[in-house]
Amino acid sequence: MQSLRDLQRSFCAATLFGDPVALASLGIVGGRLDPKARIAVYRNNVLGNYRKAMAATYPVVQRLVGASFFAAAVDYFVRGYPSKRGDINRYGGEFALFLVSYRPARELVYLPDVARLEWAIDQAAIAADAPPFDLEALAAVPPSRQAALRFSLHPSLRIVSSPHPVFRIWRANQVDQCGEDRVDLGEGGDTLLVSRGNAGVSIERISAGDRAFLAALADNGTLAEAAGRAQEVEALFELAATLRRHVAGQTIVAFRAP
Amino acid sequence: MPDSPLPVVAGIGLRAAHMAQVRAEHPPTGWLEVHSENFFVDGGPALAALDDIRRHYAVSLHGVGLSLGSADPLDKAHLGNLRGLIDRIEPSAVSEHLCWSHVDGRHLNDLLPLPFTEEALTLLCERIDAVQNALGRTIMVENISSYLRFSCDAMAEWEFVAALTQHAGCKLLFDVNNVYVNAVNHRFDPRRYLAAISGDSIGEIHLAGFDSSAGCLIDTHGTRVAPAVWDLYRESIERFGPKPTLIEWDTDIPALEVLLDEAAKAQRMLEACHAVAA
Repeated sequence: MQSLRDLQRSFCAATLFGDPVALASLGIVGGRLDPKARIAVYRNNVLGNYRKAMAATYPVVQRLVGASFFAAAVDYFVRGYPSKRGDINRYGGEFALFLVSYRPARELVYLPDVARLEWAIDQAAIAADAPPFDLEALAAVPPSRQAALRFSLHPSLRIVSSPHPVFRIWRANQVDQCGEDRVDLGEGGDTLLVSRGNAGVSIERISAGDRAFLAALADNGTLAEAAGRAQEVEALFELAATLRRHVAGQTIVAFRAP
Repeated sequence: MPDSPLPVVAGIGLRAAHMAQVRAEHPPTGWLEVHSENFFVDGGPALAALDDIRRHYAVSLHGVGLSLGSADPLDKAHLGNLRGLIDRIEPSAVSEHLCWSHVDGRHLNDLLPLPFTEEALTLLCERIDAVQNALGRTIMVENISSYLRFSCDAMAEWEFVAALTQHAGCKLLFDVNNVYVNAVNHRFDPRRYLAAISGDSIGEIHLAGFDSSAGCLIDTHGTRVAPAVWDLYRESIERFGPKPTLIEWDTDIPALEVLLDEAAKAQRMLEACHAVAA
């Protein structure tokens, strides 16, 4: 008699990959339905669960390619990228990577970046909470010591950059978006800041300087170092305004004095 | 370890679609059950909503992904997430399924059927013991719907379930709909199932709707409870005594009122059963 492990391996091979040898080895009792039809019930359930979970995470990708194209892509993805967790909600982080080399979608050059944006939105929604910024404590820091401060970013913060106008593509494909918003693919790329504040997950375009600034802070750089990095890529980078905006928007949530 | 302290009344499964309405209106339902994994998150609005719900209702955490019956080792990270959620929510009950979901590290994220063998029974007893030790509490395990049987089965499903509740030190989450679905799919008399189960082992009952497709009944949780399942439920509580009873709905989720209406029906049957018992 085969071991439980062998039975579970064969079940997986028969369900996901349609392996006829594995199916035969399972010793499924037939009756009104033959073993192949019975395993097909599980295949439909398993793939159906993944399609549903992925559609919840990637609604814009699904809208861009259509439901049946999306379902076929998910079915293919599932076979090559095993789920590693018992929580299906967290499945699918490698979908953008998969789409880069998924031949049926190769003409939609922007699709992987739209997927990266949707994954960032999904992750931002479940990231850890952070206490509100202590503005009074910051105001008490003498100006001479401000340059040496280091800042903590909200755990939900993600930056998504693309050579394609993914923000406009994303906005034009929201369910509440009616009208024929057309996106010119040649209009240039986006650098997007995805983060979660009191009002939920938000997406905003940020400048190259802002991106460098946040990246430097995330690398534990001081305020002076981060401002320097921002000015290297953006001569007119406005430090005070940027800092105020990030504190107000809860992108920056805490500071540490040296 | 304490018995199931869920109130012996009807409750409903709470899904994201109804979260805002339940928080705003606090409808009169005895208790609420959520899927544990939906709250395996570090923070954000979903977890905050559950914290708020917990301030107003008894909550049961129902897991779908621990995979008690896998030959693979127990997923310690998953168990750790569950432990963290239990510490935060302080649920009245914690439950999982009599199934497996992963093999060689690949999760299939579905409730897959076990062969009813001594090997599977021994493994489940060990796993349930390990989980109960890690969580420091008794869990309930639910009998699942299935669409196939293995020729290597050494016993009937009800013998397997009865043996498990006897030896594993856990409680049974008795899903009446799953018994009915399996009775039709595998052609047995559901009363034989009821006859094998001890009422003392049951900590909770589940009710849900099924769909029929491709020559078998599928446990979709997408419709009202079928009349035949209501009949089997009435027989169950007459035999086992009244138990905390949950209405589950997971696909094509209707208005909250429809779930509350189903729960009210279960509640009336529970009260009739209480009256007879008294």
